Amino acid sequence: MPLEQNHIANFLKDKDNSNPRYKSELFNLLRDRIDELCEICSKDRIRNVLNPMCHHRFLLGLRLLNGLGIEDQPEFCYDVHKDIVFRDFRNKTVIYKPNDAYLYLIDFFDNFFHGGYRRLNLLFAKKDFKVVKKIFDDRINNRDENFQYKLTDDENFMVFKYDEKIHVIFINENYALCNATREYVKDLELLFGLCKLFARIYFPEIKLKLIPNNCIEIKTIIPKETLQKISSTEPTDEDSKRDKYIWNVFPSELDTLSQFSNEINIYLDKKKDLAIRLHIGIESEAILNRPKRFLLRYRDLRLVFNIIYRLYNDFYILHI
Amino acid sequence: MSDKDQENPEITKIKDFVKDGRIDDAVKIIALYLGDSTQDDYTERLEDIIEMLLLLHGGQTVLRFLIEQLVIDIPSLLENLSKRDSVLRYNFLLLVKTMCEQECSILLPYSEDLLSSEDPNVREAVLQLIIFMAGGENKIDDESLIGKISNTLTDEKEFVVEKAVQALQVIGRNNPSLVTKIITLKVKEYPENDELKNVVDIVLKSIVTVEKIDELVEDSEKKEITDKDLIEKEEAEIIDKELELKKKEIEIKKKKLELEEKEKEIEKKIIQEKEKTLKLKEEIIEQESKEESDLVQISDEIPKKVKKKLMKEEFEILDKEILLKKKDLEIKKKKLELEFKEREIEELAITEKEKNLKLKEELIEKESELSQVEIELQKKKIEEKERKILEGELERAKEKIENLEKESEDGED
Repeated sequence: MPLEQNHIANFLKDKDNSNPRYKSELFNLLRDRIDELCEICSKDRIRNVLNPMCHHRFLLGLRLLNGLGIEDQPEFCYDVHKDIVFRDFRNKTVIYKPNDAYLYLIDFFDNFFHGGYRRLNLLFAKKDFKVVKKIFDDRINNRDENFQYKLTDDENFMVFKYDEKIHVIFINENYALCNATREYVKDLELLFGLCKLFARIYFPEIKLKLIPNNCIEIKTIIPKETLQKISSTEPTDEDSKRDKYIWNVFPSELDTLSQFSNEINIYLDKKKDLAIRLHIGIESEAILNRPKRFLLRYRDLRLVFNIIYRLYNDFYILHI
Repeated sequence: MSDKDQENPEITKIKDFVKDGRIDDAVKIIALYLGDSTQDDYTERLEDIIEMLLLLHGGQTVLRFLIEQLVIDIPSLLENLSKRDSVLRYNFLLLVKTMCEQECSILLPYSEDLLSSEDPNVREAVLQLIIFMAGGENKIDDESLIGKISNTLTDEKEFVVEKAVQALQVIGRNNPSLVTKIITLKVKEYPENDELKNVVDIVLKSIVTVEKIDELVEDSEKKEITDKDLIEKEEAEIIDKELELKKKEIEIKKKKLELEEKEKEIEKKIIQEKEKTLKLKEEIIEQESKEESDLVQISDEIPKKVKKKLMKEEFEILDKEILLKKKDLEIKKKKLELEFKEREIEELAITEKEKNLKLKEELIEKESELSQVEIELQKKKIEEKERKILEGELERAKEKIENLEKESEDGED
């Protein structure tokens, strides 16, 4: 039987039996293969552009996330990667959607804020966010640039929303995540920043609360008056959309919310409104010997926000 | 598709035409759309068109029409695309792949010129097109083009060299002997270029297989034979040319000798003429002396004979002069012919000879003129003498008549 991936994974996981030297040798083999692969791929530029040898150029991200500089990246491949993010941003044709694409901060600014990107890079390095905000506000208000942004409370992250796309700047690490989708949200401060940004745009009256080192509390309500209007029996075709939603869709959406929440509470508050309180965290609870693991991807968060937005829009705003 | 395109009615119209299969109409609108562009937005518009065609079913056909009808010019298109990002450029190359494979005649004519482009992106793009063409239905066996491709093996950009290697590998699959020959010659041109040797090694390794070795050997044998034939032919040609040259040299020498002979003949004739004129002079002097000694006995017949002789001599001299002039002209003609043959080096000698000849001619002419003048002078002298003699005789005759009349009168008395 030939060697399979899980055999290697088992070998690496086995802390007790494996000789560290063998592991090191295995890693060296892997590293040499990666270097060789990148060299071959970069040599044939057409293949590199149209059919790169690693899926969506994830090896660039591997280097970037481990603190390697641009000089350590295969130059042409990185340029193409940057071009693809830019083309996608401009709604041009791309070979693949550059989801979860990492860029060095200066290149992120070059793609998204071309005029004055060097200045922005400098301001971020100095953490002069007052000026940064002025620049961004000017772009939004005076140059018709269609984006929203939010600097997190401890000034470690800045999140951007361009239409349906989310980009995150990791200020201390000096890089940015573009078109965040399948990556996990790995920081509570970042999660809170994202919640605030979305709340500001879509559900401004919903209460958000940071429970330090734990989770974000999101609390929404279905007012008593609205609740009373909902049919007490299963709706027929002629009934309103809200009835259909509550009877047919709401349970499954609660189920969805429960998947991405550490805790979900549904209760009638003092005013007899139906309160839905979510505790959204970034990590799962440690169960028995299982270690904690990241729970929430950016796309999951979007799903949560969509549900909250619907509840807010259909049952709260309309009532008011 | 971008929002910009959605807002652009012309792009929407073109799309609709292509979707409806109205390719000709689509091509016309594209031509107008590109024609209306300014220098600044031409590339933008071209990019829009390429973007649109990339996504459309039938886009390849439209592009083929655009290229065939010269709405899109391949060299300028590649140059414009090289200014844009690589994604678009390579996508365009993919778009024309089928066209290259099936109808390489549309793109092949541009290849050699584009391989010499200053822009490495253009060079790379052309090499990619050549790869597509060579991998298609057509065989690339143009020695000049393969030579140009092999030149790019020493390109300063590694990615161009990589493409050149690939191109030669693909061409070499169908034509191993020609590619082998050209790239080995290239290595011989740069014997100290190790990088070139390495890339040529790569090409050769991919071309030469066990199956193709026999073919290569046969070709090399043929080449050896043809090389020998060629050498023999060249040698024979050289020998022929040498012989021709020798013949020409001999001819030139002959003509030189002939000229010298003719010059000698002319000189002889000149001498003869001089001798004749001298004789004539002597005769005239003798006649004068006779006339002086026999003044009384001179009759009317003597001057007449002299006159006739002089006249004859004059005519003869004139005829000879004409002949001389004719011969001079012939000599000049031959000299001109010689001038062509003897080229620049011999020209100097000929011109010198010409000068000498001219001088001689002038001398002859002057001498002839002098002799004429002398003859005229002699004539005049003779005429004067004749007059004097006649006058004297007339006086004598008068005196005799008077005497006779006196004697007759005396007799009557």
